[in-house]
Amino acid sequence: MPASNKSPSKKLVDLDTALSTVKDGMTLGIGGWIFHGQPMALVRGLIAKGVRDLTLVPAPGSVAPDMLIGAGCVRETACVFISFEHLGLAPNFRRAAQSGAVKVLEMDGPGIAGGLRAGACDLPYGLIPDLGTDLPKVNPEGYRKARIQEGNRPLLEVPAIKPDVVFLHGQQADEEGNVQYFGAGYFDLLMAQAAKHVICSVDRIVPSSTVRHQARLTKIPSAFVDAIVVAPFGAHPGGSPGLYGQDEQHLKAYVAASRDQAAFDAYLGEHARGGEDAYRERIGAKALAGLTTGDAR
Amino acid sequence: MPVTTNSFAMGEMLAVLLSRDMADGEKAIVGTNSDIQVAACNLARQRQAPHLWWVSGPGGMTNPTEGIIRPAADAENIAVAEAVMDLPQMIDFIDWQVHFFDFAILGALQTDRFGNINTVCVGDHAKPRLRGPGTVGISALCGLSRRFYIMMTRHDRGAFVPKVDFVCGAGFLDGGTARTDFGLPEGGPRLVVTPLGVFDFEPKSKAMRIKSLHEGVTLDEIRDNTGFDLMVPAKIERTANPEDEELFLLRRAVDSTGVLARKFPWPKAH
Repeated sequence: MPASNKSPSKKLVDLDTALSTVKDGMTLGIGGWIFHGQPMALVRGLIAKGVRDLTLVPAPGSVAPDMLIGAGCVRETACVFISFEHLGLAPNFRRAAQSGAVKVLEMDGPGIAGGLRAGACDLPYGLIPDLGTDLPKVNPEGYRKARIQEGNRPLLEVPAIKPDVVFLHGQQADEEGNVQYFGAGYFDLLMAQAAKHVICSVDRIVPSSTVRHQARLTKIPSAFVDAIVVAPFGAHPGGSPGLYGQDEQHLKAYVAASRDQAAFDAYLGEHARGGEDAYRERIGAKALAGLTTGDAR
Repeated sequence: MPVTTNSFAMGEMLAVLLSRDMADGEKAIVGTNSDIQVAACNLARQRQAPHLWWVSGPGGMTNPTEGIIRPAADAENIAVAEAVMDLPQMIDFIDWQVHFFDFAILGALQTDRFGNINTVCVGDHAKPRLRGPGTVGISALCGLSRRFYIMMTRHDRGAFVPKVDFVCGAGFLDGGTARTDFGLPEGGPRLVVTPLGVFDFEPKSKAMRIKSLHEGVTLDEIRDNTGFDLMVPAKIERTANPEDEELFLLRRAVDSTGVLARKFPWPKAH
């Protein structure tokens, strides 16, 4: 297309427009890794919107799945790994799993990788070795004895994972939706390939020339991206690799506020329902600046 | 209780014990939240295993050796790594390939007599008393690596149970030849390191056995804190404490900001 005819990007949209595609009962994939690259602005927006009955497929994560579960948005969640690492177990996930309020689809690395690969490749299922775990006992639909068995290694089928929507967080993108990562990409590209609809938040939008200058940083090319949302500090209270670290103080306060549902509802009222401008104002410029310089660690 | 000396922290002791068992040229993987594992691998590289190759499971950085222990997924490891791999490529050798890795080092909520590992739940899975973080790569690393180490930062009857409530990493399953009978490759747990001692597995029954007790730890104390009968060899060794040279290299070249001492002190006496 000649440059003169080029229309403005339709992918760069505001948070509410991006989230309008997410409906009750959908399967939602979440990228990142534990406290890294958690798409928190998208998660808070979804909580404010009041979406219900989601099935989550989170990559190993922390506060993103935990907050959606604590906000009552989730009917069932896959669990490969949901942890607050040195801050303990994921508090809302733990409470919901122990009470049975949320059904847990127990998974492991081979299960999610095999399922996402099958989804990305339009194949019905992936083939993984049976590693002798109890996973097939508690998640028989997720781990089926394979119809084809060869050699002495027992094999399992894991059904394709095709999330309706996936949420990712990168550090920067251009208006076309080429998303760049300053750290590891984790499962993010695989999730984008497997999902039907991909929403990426980024801390900032940069010119195309900046993206082209270091094209190796582009982990999610624009063809895989449906919507880009500019969300400065959109991974807070987690970290955005290369830009800011996780907010230990806020995460501790989050864990404390998760002691019971009433306290957590109050947290959500203060932090998740007022929009991102109000959120950043509440966290405060000084605290956020401290995270970018490492002062707050 | 062990003699909780001021001269080294529990985390430093565990890192030293693990590092001693690593050989030059081996390939290893380090998971998320693995300060002691990172320290053990980098200490071995400083001493007997300069060509030990290790990769960050989540981040894909290989051999990040900076003298500062960082979370294995952190972007800061990139600048001090030899290579940065993408997770989907790494999945090929993590989740499918038999014996790509010589070893992995894994923590757990529970372990049992035959070295099976549980990080999923305590109690019934449908309504657990304690919901843990989940399995992540533990299934594949226990199943497929040539050997693995179980590293427990607590040693009590809650953590050492007769049978784990959920097998998310296969040790020797029900013992004897159960592991290979199931179709898993040879391997399984080699050592268990804890604040009280070091344990291995009797070759025939594959039951956990005392290898050495740390300074100040008695046999009765081990029995009181273990929820099953450990095999007891004719002669119980005393664990060799970290030597000055090991501690010097650990603190100067591996953990120069003292992460291990800060995060993993000795447990307080009851």
